[in-house]
Amino acid sequence: MQTESDKNTNTDFEAIIRLENITKQFSNKVVLDNLSLQVEKGKTTVIIGPSGCGKTVLIKMMIVLLRPNQGEVYFDNERIDNLQENRLKDFRTRYGFLFQAGALFDSMTVAENIAFPVLQHRRKVDKDELDEIIKIRLALVGLDGYQNHFPASLSGGQKKRVALARAIALDPEVILYDEPTTGLDPIRSDIINELVLKLRNRATSVVVTHDMKSAYKIADRIIMLHEGRIIADGDADYIRDHPHPNVQQFIHGQASDDDLAVLRMNDQFHHPQYSPRDFQKQ
Amino acid sequence: MFEQIGDKTITVLHNTGDFWRFSWSGLKQSIHTFFTPRNYDLIWTQMYLIGVLSVPIIMVTGAFVGMILAVQAYDQLAGMNLEEHLGVLVNVSVVKELGPVLAGVMLAGRVGGALTAELGTMRVTEQIDAVRSMGVNAVYYLVAPRFLACLLLTPVLIIFAVLLGVLGGYIIGVGYFGINSSAYWEFSAAGVEMWDLVMGISKGFFFGGIIAIISCYKGFNCGEGAQGVGRACTEAFVASFISILAINFILVVIFNTLYHTFWIPSGLI
Repeated sequence: MQTESDKNTNTDFEAIIRLENITKQFSNKVVLDNLSLQVEKGKTTVIIGPSGCGKTVLIKMMIVLLRPNQGEVYFDNERIDNLQENRLKDFRTRYGFLFQAGALFDSMTVAENIAFPVLQHRRKVDKDELDEIIKIRLALVGLDGYQNHFPASLSGGQKKRVALARAIALDPEVILYDEPTTGLDPIRSDIINELVLKLRNRATSVVVTHDMKSAYKIADRIIMLHEGRIIADGDADYIRDHPHPNVQQFIHGQASDDDLAVLRMNDQFHHPQYSPRDFQKQ
Repeated sequence: MFEQIGDKTITVLHNTGDFWRFSWSGLKQSIHTFFTPRNYDLIWTQMYLIGVLSVPIIMVTGAFVGMILAVQAYDQLAGMNLEEHLGVLVNVSVVKELGPVLAGVMLAGRVGGALTAELGTMRVTEQIDAVRSMGVNAVYYLVAPRFLACLLLTPVLIIFAVLLGVLGGYIIGVGYFGINSSAYWEFSAAGVEMWDLVMGISKGFFFGGIIAIISCYKGFNCGEGAQGVGRACTEAFVASFISILAINFILVVIFNTLYHTFWIPSGLI
């Protein structure tokens, strides 16, 4: 459970997303454990934590792609976790979601991907207007001219930028980013970071990442998850100096003593196929 | 042990409930899609992929069924000097049972496998979540067009299978075994009633519907990674195959009851 000592943020703000006492478990594994969180309107909230700590589950719960076993999710003070799929439509169009691998529709061109949410929600949109929407979104992510490309012909960074263009096609109030820089080289990662910063004036952002450089650059507020709970919550400076050993271990990218002990123990049992000399040659 | 049995029972009940909920949702969304003209492009696309591209394989299947039946039955009928009745045997079998069932099984493999693999890959790569995140009902957008295409085109494909089955039997019976052509057709016409055709073709609606629902359900609920997609495809085919046989049995019982209750037989052979 989040304690007062973990918090360094003023909670007296206008929250656009509110999660209250959320618990989520898959089979017998508890992924989120009685977690409460408010996302401030107009700010960039970054959620960090090691792989498997529940970051993606948390962000998917904000848009009710996953539903909690216990607890409540509110968007703009309306409870949404108990709504049926059809009734969630009006809320989801107020979100944009950038998936970890882009999740572009591979049977569609870049232009068709961006046009998809527009065509699904606007009854009447003429071709010129649609082309203009696509062009503006692609120009925003620096990919105008790629309209007729298929996702398969794009690089990883380009796919994420197109996915971002699609996520903002409906001018959402909240943009959710699921590990936007994972798998990208440092330069491409920085381009994505700059895009997140560029979009901060248009929408509230929630970013899930384990890239600390990115987190420090874009965050107004950083929340660290560990074993389904919030263990630190504050601005970049607060997190940088946080006394919790798990926070320090994570932000400095250090393996724990337990992990190292296991690795050293495994050294005693050679795989018969290899000997230490195989590695020394390299 | 009791705990394991209990867990297994809960899982089976949960999956069964989930499947029926998915089927109900698929049916509702399909009706909605059918009456929404702006979705017709999606349905046409699926009709091409599911229906038009299946025509060659379905025709080959039907032709071989007819030819094999003719070869197998000829010796037995010839032993009783009834070889001119070969057409009745082949055509009744092809029209009522073997044409529809084998066409259904072939579609479960070709179409069902493709649907599960496509939707399963979309699930694994989060494309289904992407559809949902943009405020679009994934069942409405992804399942309904596929369901409608399967439902509407499987009977048409069965007509192709039956047609080629009848031709295949004719070619072997008349062309290879030398049965008199007019006798072959006369006995066939006397043996095959309109009821048999109605029964055979209408099975297509049920087979098409169940193949689409099972395949889409398995795709939507497949496990992670390549192994998950592969397993989902296998499960979809096995479940579709068993369902086709089970539904066929139920339909035969129902059709036979209706036949004996309402239909006036026109006299066989």
